Amino acid sequence: MSYYLGLAQLIGIHTLLGLSAYVLMLTGQLSLGQAGFFAIGAYSAGILTVIFELPILPALLAAAVIAAFFAFLVGFPALRVKGLMLVVATIAFGEFVRLFFFNLSWRVPRGDIVVGPDSTNGFREIRYFVANGWSPWEITAFVWTFVILIMAALWWMDRSRAGAVLRAVGEDELATQSVGVNLTAVKVTAMTAGGFIAGIGGALYAHTATYVDHLTFTVLLATFAVSYPILGGLSSVFGTLVAVVFIQGVLVEGLRFMGDWRNIVFGLLIIMAMNLKPSGLFDARTAQVLKRAVGLGAQEKSDA
Amino acid sequence: MSDFLLEFVEITQTIGDGLFFGTTYALIGIGFSLIFGAMRKLNMTYAAAALAGAYVGLAAFTFINAPAPVVFLISALASGLIGGAVYITCFRFIPINNHLAALMASIGALFFIDEIVVHTTDGSPLTFPALFDDVMFEMGPYGVRGDLLFVLAVNIVSTIGLLYVLYRTRLGLATRAVSQQDVAAQLCGIDVHRTNAITFVLAGLLGGIAGSMTASAVGVLSPLITVPLTVKGLIVSVIGGLGSIPGAIAAGLLVGGLENAFLYFRGVNERDMYVLLLLFVFLIFRPDGLFGSAIDRD
Repeated sequence: MSYYLGLAQLIGIHTLLGLSAYVLMLTGQLSLGQAGFFAIGAYSAGILTVIFELPILPALLAAAVIAAFFAFLVGFPALRVKGLMLVVATIAFGEFVRLFFFNLSWRVPRGDIVVGPDSTNGFREIRYFVANGWSPWEITAFVWTFVILIMAALWWMDRSRAGAVLRAVGEDELATQSVGVNLTAVKVTAMTAGGFIAGIGGALYAHTATYVDHLTFTVLLATFAVSYPILGGLSSVFGTLVAVVFIQGVLVEGLRFMGDWRNIVFGLLIIMAMNLKPSGLFDARTAQVLKRAVGLGAQEKSDA
Repeated sequence: MSDFLLEFVEITQTIGDGLFFGTTYALIGIGFSLIFGAMRKLNMTYAAAALAGAYVGLAAFTFINAPAPVVFLISALASGLIGGAVYITCFRFIPINNHLAALMASIGALFFIDEIVVHTTDGSPLTFPALFDDVMFEMGPYGVRGDLLFVLAVNIVSTIGLLYVLYRTRLGLATRAVSQQDVAAQLCGIDVHRTNAITFVLAGLLGGIAGSMTASAVGVLSPLITVPLTVKGLIVSVIGGLGSIPGAIAAGLLVGGLENAFLYFRGVNERDMYVLLLLFVFLIFRPDGLFGSAIDRD
């Protein structure tokens, strides 16, 4: 059972990671730096609960705010350039963060042991859940509370004016600018929101894994982050969730017998998906077809 | 005073070595720029393909004990072939105006190639042959490693070769025409897909040379350098101005030299952090790069 709970936690955390990329992708920007914000969230939250001995909730929120702050900072220079240049800038940012934690050594004596990030050896003592006797059920519920909160918030935002503005920027920047929308403000806001969500994801990851090191936060993780909304499509937040369940639950777990060769399948999957469905597996048209297939589309039509 | 002089010699020596190595970054940067110039797309697989080519050369060295020049040649040819394959799988059939889909597909190919390399070599570094590695030229207080000089010579010759192909042959004319205006080029009877494929193969050849030169200058080939080489190649092409070949050359030398300066002053663990910061300095103060034009930005 604990294996499935662990998988549920992983799916929840990766959903947050995917959603952090989803927000920015609504504005038509692709960031390969989400692993960097995720890392900032993970290390900040770990440092706050281990070295400063804060409870989990304030530590988690503080970590999310710190990650959001860095996303805000990166947003300004990176969003002056757009499209492919943003991709390069965010890859560079992600690698910079990884190398920063690769070098970070902050060891503090705590009782008879020394705790804290230990550069190449990683950060090993993030044992808040164990120390406070949380059961796997409680941890899973805690993770999914955040997943549901964030998904609900994004779902609501998508239906509000803010969502319309984000999508408008993604559809046609020039037209959106012409009706008086401040492009930079919208993009930096989306970037900051993405950083916040990735920060929460990272903080939860550090505490469920109890151990993080710089190798966790590579370009591969950043690629996973963007491939969820790409495969799931941008029509709704549920696409991202479906893609995470498909990749992490079905593909990664189902191909366990292949051992480490699984990443090859991941690479092939992306290549095939992009060739067959360049705008996402569950793009607007496919979503419409699916809705009609289960009878939802007809209902909507009669409502209209 | 003599201490100061000694340190000065040491610093200039380090930076000089870095400039030699920078020619390799320049080649990788040129490869990114060539493809960006032709299609306005990023080929993220490029550095991975370059190293995969070097691995094919290494296989020839290990199994049939091929001499070093043959190893370099095989590396270049293999990387050129992989470049062509990447074009077909990641660019040929994806709509021309969908930049992000092609980018994602090429990232998928990056991991695909990287994983194959990691699995066939168990991820451990392997010795790569070099030429003239036992020669050392002395010039006053400075020394120049023979193998680095060879790397420099090969890199310069291949850059000149590329410039010749681009500016003195019909093929190069077609490539430049497609990169300027693909529709007009097509109306003039140029087969755009064929020209793009040839650009990918050309860039791949160049990458294979850069990959094998990197490996022979470092002495080992390891899958661990795929991502750093990709990132540095991207940084070089952005700092130089995306799509600009002279820019990539200048930026390659700049990154190579500065990298060794950072290495000297801050140590190997922090070196790459400063190279990455350099990119942000450029993004803030000169987002179009050294030689780029504002139109090329997206």
